[in-house]
Amino acid sequence: MNESEIERGLGTAEPRVDTEAALARLRTRIEDEGVVAAPPAIRRRVPARWLQGLAAAAGVVLVASALTLSGVADSILKIFEPRSIVGVPITQQDLSYLGQACAGLDLQQCMGTYGTFEWTTPPQPKEVQSLASASSTAGYSVQTPSSLPASVTGPTRYGVINRSSATFTFSAGATQQAATRQGRTAPPMPANIDGSHLYMTAGPAVFQVWGAPASTGRGPQPDPIPTLVVGQAKAPVVTSDGVTVDQLRTYLLQQPGVSPQLAAAIRAIGDPASTLPVPVPAELAVSHPVTVQGVQGLFIGDNTGIASAIIWQKDGMMFEVIGSLTERQAVDIANSMR
Amino acid sequence: MLYVWMDASSMTLPARGAGRSAVLSPAFERLFRSEYARVVGIAHRVLADQDGAEDVAQDVFLSFYRAHPGDAEYAAAWLHAAAAHSALNALRARGRRGRREAAQAVSADTPAGDDPAELVTAAETQDEVRAVLARLPERSAALLALRYAGLSYSEIAAALDVRASSIGTLLRRAEESFRREMR
Repeated sequence: MNESEIERGLGTAEPRVDTEAALARLRTRIEDEGVVAAPPAIRRRVPARWLQGLAAAAGVVLVASALTLSGVADSILKIFEPRSIVGVPITQQDLSYLGQACAGLDLQQCMGTYGTFEWTTPPQPKEVQSLASASSTAGYSVQTPSSLPASVTGPTRYGVINRSSATFTFSAGATQQAATRQGRTAPPMPANIDGSHLYMTAGPAVFQVWGAPASTGRGPQPDPIPTLVVGQAKAPVVTSDGVTVDQLRTYLLQQPGVSPQLAAAIRAIGDPASTLPVPVPAELAVSHPVTVQGVQGLFIGDNTGIASAIIWQKDGMMFEVIGSLTERQAVDIANSMR
Repeated sequence: MLYVWMDASSMTLPARGAGRSAVLSPAFERLFRSEYARVVGIAHRVLADQDGAEDVAQDVFLSFYRAHPGDAEYAAAWLHAAAAHSALNALRARGRRGRREAAQAVSADTPAGDDPAELVTAAETQDEVRAVLARLPERSAALLALRYAGLSYSEIAAALDVRASSIGTLLRRAEESFRREMR
């Protein structure tokens, strides 16, 4: 098959379009759906590297963990329950520093930068065969979408992660050693933070996955990227035995490499004890509040418009819908969950 | 200022009503008029279905409107990339039956003649071409769609965020993959 044959194969008759009619259709749709342009400040130069964007988003999960902790230790045994979710733009510069700090490390090792992280009940993911089995294993009623877009096909796979818990002990010595390894100077850790503990529990969590069939075992084919993942988990609970949320937040935001803009964003969170900050790569993704299931959640999209995520909290449960979806499809899926 | 903190107040919507149409910025309207046909053309190369291609174009422009200023210097490149990726997603979602129906519809419009056998062959080729596009790696399929929609090497490079000097090599590889899959 030569180039001209490929061209013939791909070459359909050039479409004749009515641009003005199409523009009128778009105007009506924007009006009917109440679509608003993003605020100027979140309009950004966007490279087409959407996969890099997703990778970056995955990388900043580490940041999410750390930032979540900053909002959870209000007082001794105070239970943190996220009632709202906000996006925190993370720049490439922030990512670069955090990537350097945690390069090649898992969560446990990365948190070791600030002290000692120990699982008391480690997460043990397992696959189950049905939604009923997932509900039974998780111990709560698992919601599932009642309608899906045509782009989501194939059988559903179900994964359950048990309720997990961990203890983190802050260490001034470990922090200084980590800073020295990176050629940086860390601010001194306040005495009441050094040696204090955070006790964290999370889950059980259930994930429903479409578009990622089980491996056939034939050949070294990479696992396909799922077209849709729906997650549900009991909201995380964190307790502390000696540090206030303001002390902890102030200390973490003084760390070298945390930009003044990122620090200001975290400080701007009105009620850190009940707000879950979700990091959003500033140059690669957009985010805005969205209403699903009657509550306000957070929409995050990569800038090509082909990958979307919605995260929301309702009745003590965290939910997420992630996939190769338009925003409208993601919202429809979220609203169809029963 | 790096960003504006987003809260519920930033999402206050204008009053809505059926049949009304939004007032768009002049820059966005200029962009729409200059790029709409090209965006539909890219999606059409992938889907071989004008209605489907126009639906993809509407979604692509809506996504852009929601997130970017109409006068952004990267607007055209963004739209081209989003058109290719969105159309490929739609193609994969259709499955074999949908592709065949689209292929039959388009083959009836092509100058293959009135011979039923030729029409069937043309439809089968269209079906196979779309099936191959759906199977190819994302970047290869997007590259072919953009190239055969008439974009220049520099336009493809901007859309896929790769060096223009690499496009020739990448295109050859994509065409080789396409030929292999067609055998």
